[in-house]
Amino acid sequence: MDNEIQAVAPQEGAKAEHKKKMIVVPGDLVTEERKKLGQHVFIEDGKVYSDALGITYPDSEIAYVVPLAGVYIPQRDDLIVGIIERETVKGYMVNINSIYPSYLSADKCRDVLQKASVVSAKVDAVNEINEAELFDVRVFYGGEILSVNPSKVPRIIGKNGSMLLVLKEGTGCNLLVGRNGWVWIKGGDVKKLADAIKLIESEAHLDNLTVKVEAFLKGKKVN
Amino acid sequence: MAKKQEKIEYVKNGKRLDGRKVDELRPVKMEVGVLSNADGSAYLEWGQNKVLVGVHGPKEALPKHKQNPYKGLVRYTYRMATFSVPDRKNPRPGRRESEISKVSGEALEKAIFLEKFPNTAIDIYVEIFDSNAGTRVAALTAASLALADAGIPMRDLVCAVGVGKAGGEIILDLNKDEEDAPDAVDIPIAIMPRTEEIVLLQMDGLLTKPEWNKAVKLGIEGCKRIYEMQKQALRKKYAEAEQEM
Repeated sequence: MDNEIQAVAPQEGAKAEHKKKMIVVPGDLVTEERKKLGQHVFIEDGKVYSDALGITYPDSEIAYVVPLAGVYIPQRDDLIVGIIERETVKGYMVNINSIYPSYLSADKCRDVLQKASVVSAKVDAVNEINEAELFDVRVFYGGEILSVNPSKVPRIIGKNGSMLLVLKEGTGCNLLVGRNGWVWIKGGDVKKLADAIKLIESEAHLDNLTVKVEAFLKGKKVN
Repeated sequence: MAKKQEKIEYVKNGKRLDGRKVDELRPVKMEVGVLSNADGSAYLEWGQNKVLVGVHGPKEALPKHKQNPYKGLVRYTYRMATFSVPDRKNPRPGRRESEISKVSGEALEKAIFLEKFPNTAIDIYVEIFDSNAGTRVAALTAASLALADAGIPMRDLVCAVGVGKAGGEIILDLNKDEEDAPDAVDIPIAIMPRTEEIVLLQMDGLLTKPEWNKAVKLGIEGCKRIYEMQKQALRKKYAEAEQEM
């Protein structure tokens, strides 16, 4: 499971380094400089503008906005948690908490899956109408799924997976965080983990979150 | 014989009937994220107008033949509560409501990056609880806040205001008394403030060319004031984050 966590974590890595923050609303100027474009920005007359309500980091080399809300749109190489929705002739339709359907070919899957099987998978390709094709499937037995806001997922993973480590050690849960906002949990103190994740979600835009969550988990232990 | 009507002075010594200046807005209160079951929501009080907006989506557009593989749909529903006007309003959606829904939806379409959401629909439900002239602009202002709250990518916020003429004077943000003036002209105007692109413009009544130029200028200026309030309302939701900066 550790490899998979690594695959998602670097996205967060770049963010935490920049201290200076700025709240932007749709149409606000992000920068007038020439920068690489990240997510939720667009160019007009050579200037970079935000297209969402969110936070941007003016010192960053990449112009991007971290939105405070939004739906999950699959992107290539995303690690997601999904539920098998339906079996087709050559594969499965998977519910990945997106507004678009996604498909998993039976050729790319060694196990025989059933309706309602919980799987983790990677997004192989996304077509022009945002339908995803999945691969690299793992089946999960037991456990439960927590739903969080997809835009808060990078904070739940933390810089290089630091937050995940805190959550795992603090609660003894076995967990996998999907980029689509679904978290698979098994064993340990599930209720405590759910509370901790709720805390992360509500304070995702604040600093020193790992320290806060660590304290929260320890505080509960004392009780 | 018609009863001789007393002539009302709509602007007297630079002050209007309710004590405002000619270019003054009614007090506006905005709040974002008020409905827990909607993806985005906003509540707005504009003078006596009270508007609640809920945004659902983007979600799969149904019935399926309405889907467009090139862009998403905006379905804007403007509705006035039965108790929103002095007499009871028939709850059946009428001509006026359908029309306002259509033009307001089209105004918001200009601002949203719909091409990012093929085959989907964005539902915007607007409920007017209390009305006193200028509900469509209040609704549009609130709807754009709710869209931003839902995290839907937009080129810009949409801000709207009413301008017009009453008693021969060009005034900003007409209330019901002014709208009922014998020579009243009412112009709801909505813009995307960054580019000043006009996304909604309607007019009833007649204006001369200089009056028109003055009215549009005043309207755009008013919209920009509304825009600042919108930004504040959105930021207020994350006030804590701002303090950290």
